[in-house]
Amino acid sequence: MTNPSDMRSTDDAAQLAHETDPSENPLMGNPDYAPGAEDATAPPGGPAIESMGRGELLRRRFLRSRSGWVGMVVFTILVLMAIFAPMFYQYEPFDRDLRNVLSGPTQYHWFGVDDRGYDIFARTMEGLRISLMIGIGTAVLTSILALLVGTTAGFVSGKGKWGAFVDGGLVNVINLFLVIPSMLLLMLFSPILQQATWLWLIPLLALFAWMLTARVLRAMTQQLVRTEYVEAAKFMGVNPVVSIVRHIIPNIASWIIIDTTLGVSAAILGETGLSFIGFGIQYPNVSLGTVLQEYNIAYPHTWVLPAAVLAALIISINLMGEALRDALDPTSGSSRI
Amino acid sequence: MARFIAIRTLTYLILAFVATSFAYLLAASLMNPEAVLYPPIATNPVPAETAQQYLNVRNVNPDTPLFERYATWLGGLIRGDMGLTTGTDRQLLEVTDVILSRVPISLQLVVIGTVIGTVAGVALGMWAAVNRNGIGDRLSTLLAFVVLSLPTPVIILTVQQTNEFIGNRSGFKLPAINRVNPLLTEGTWAYTEYQLLALIMPTIVLALAGAASYSRYMKVTTLDVLGSDYLRTARAKGLTRSQAMRRHGLRMALIPMGQYFAFAVGAAFTGSLFVELMFNWEGVGRYAISSIALADVNGTAGVVLYTAALTLLSATFADILQAALDPRIR
Repeated sequence: MTNPSDMRSTDDAAQLAHETDPSENPLMGNPDYAPGAEDATAPPGGPAIESMGRGELLRRRFLRSRSGWVGMVVFTILVLMAIFAPMFYQYEPFDRDLRNVLSGPTQYHWFGVDDRGYDIFARTMEGLRISLMIGIGTAVLTSILALLVGTTAGFVSGKGKWGAFVDGGLVNVINLFLVIPSMLLLMLFSPILQQATWLWLIPLLALFAWMLTARVLRAMTQQLVRTEYVEAAKFMGVNPVVSIVRHIIPNIASWIIIDTTLGVSAAILGETGLSFIGFGIQYPNVSLGTVLQEYNIAYPHTWVLPAAVLAALIISINLMGEALRDALDPTSGSSRI
Repeated sequence: MARFIAIRTLTYLILAFVATSFAYLLAASLMNPEAVLYPPIATNPVPAETAQQYLNVRNVNPDTPLFERYATWLGGLIRGDMGLTTGTDRQLLEVTDVILSRVPISLQLVVIGTVIGTVAGVALGMWAAVNRNGIGDRLSTLLAFVVLSLPTPVIILTVQQTNEFIGNRSGFKLPAINRVNPLLTEGTWAYTEYQLLALIMPTIVLALAGAASYSRYMKVTTLDVLGSDYLRTARAKGLTRSQAMRRHGLRMALIPMGQYFAFAVGAAFTGSLFVELMFNWEGVGRYAISSIALADVNGTAGVVLYTAALTLLSATFADILQAALDPRIR
């Protein structure tokens, strides 16, 4: 989804690129940076301070944030529920219990029954499974697409007339995808979805979600291409692809990790919205959007509990994403080691 | 400045044209409008000649090559004719008429929602940035976080359920569905009153979603401005904190916001899709859903043209706003 609430602009990207520049900030770029390195004049024979890797640093900072913990615990519980709940729960998503139509939560029907006699808990858990798979799959695919387009456009933009031409073309493709609301285009593809498996929703959602990330990655790559080590690699005759993989991707990796995490929640929002109108997941399968479709304002239990599960899922992912952003951003408060 | 706006507008026009053409080709190749001729309950098949006539007059005959249909459609578009609607109706309804009759209803929602959302979001974001880490800042940040994490249908359901709950307790309920009350006569005060009351809940939903994203973004830009030299100079020259913020800070903080205005209108259209569906408003959003569901190629292309025009207009408006705010562009 093109998410207008995503407020990271190219300026933010420039700032992040500046902050993650190893020459500016030894803490971020240098894996061998040891917190005690300044104390090299410490008396010999003292305890040797072991250097801390970047992953270790990240892990510690992430685990220090309380919201990161909350997000992780809630997300883990939801994933476990999605995996195991449909295995032991006595009802299937399309089992009808017409005696208890519209009855509230009981010990037999945990979330109650909707007006067609379907058990809401069974449907919610089955929907959680599909929504989670679509969310994660789409986020990964979106990041790959955005990485390909963004780094290519950013890398070639400074390479002569043809480079500028290719870059301009890619930027216009990005703008083109931004002109039409992606929801409408996704709805157009629903005839394909009805004939094929629901897994096709993953590439389709990814196809209309990569643009903003690609724009940011392009701006970051443009800045990195001008650094001395990339220039040096170029003059040594290193293949551009090798140069991108070896020098540019490690520098924008933190941004990609954050974006993939937040992309999961954006993809779930898009998928549930699409399924809610009736153009996403279709009959033999259930998604959280199709569960919400059966809402009945006179009987709040038909929508409140599935909506709470959906909200908990998205909020937990966003909490983890923000904690990750704080952990990767050296200017935030959590950067003390 | 005129040149700047002219170049931008031209780019947007080309983008809108390409986007609409792309959508038409996609719709024409993916949809099967001829399926309406073979309903499962029909006892006798439609005569072949009638079927051909039905398909040809609507320019959706699958026997005609795709690009010939596209050329015909394009020719009509230049003359301001977007073709006839497909579907189960036997009337020859013009897509242009159908969409034009629905545009005011949709636009009313989108414009009022966006304006209230933008103003509220900008005010809230600035206030949160100035009183950073205060209780109000934390509360508004938390609220924006929660609203942005909820899908639009869930926000609508929450608002409707709250209305239902209050209505059951107090006896006064806002109208939950329909834009107008067909039982009242048009022109009376009761009719207008119903219309105004019916507008409240959809506007709240759209404004809430807009305000949440704007307040977050505005907070970031205001925080950037707060540390700037010119604001310190303004304070040093004797302006109070709020005066300096109003006269110098707000203007600079608003400049990057212009960029997001264009996206916000597109998002408001997607939001209005759900609002029109769940509040039963006969706007363009509902028409989009029904025309795609009924495999109406011309109608779908018309809706895409409308959204592209909407994005184009808001982007141009954002550019003008930006040029007016930022003396460096002029």
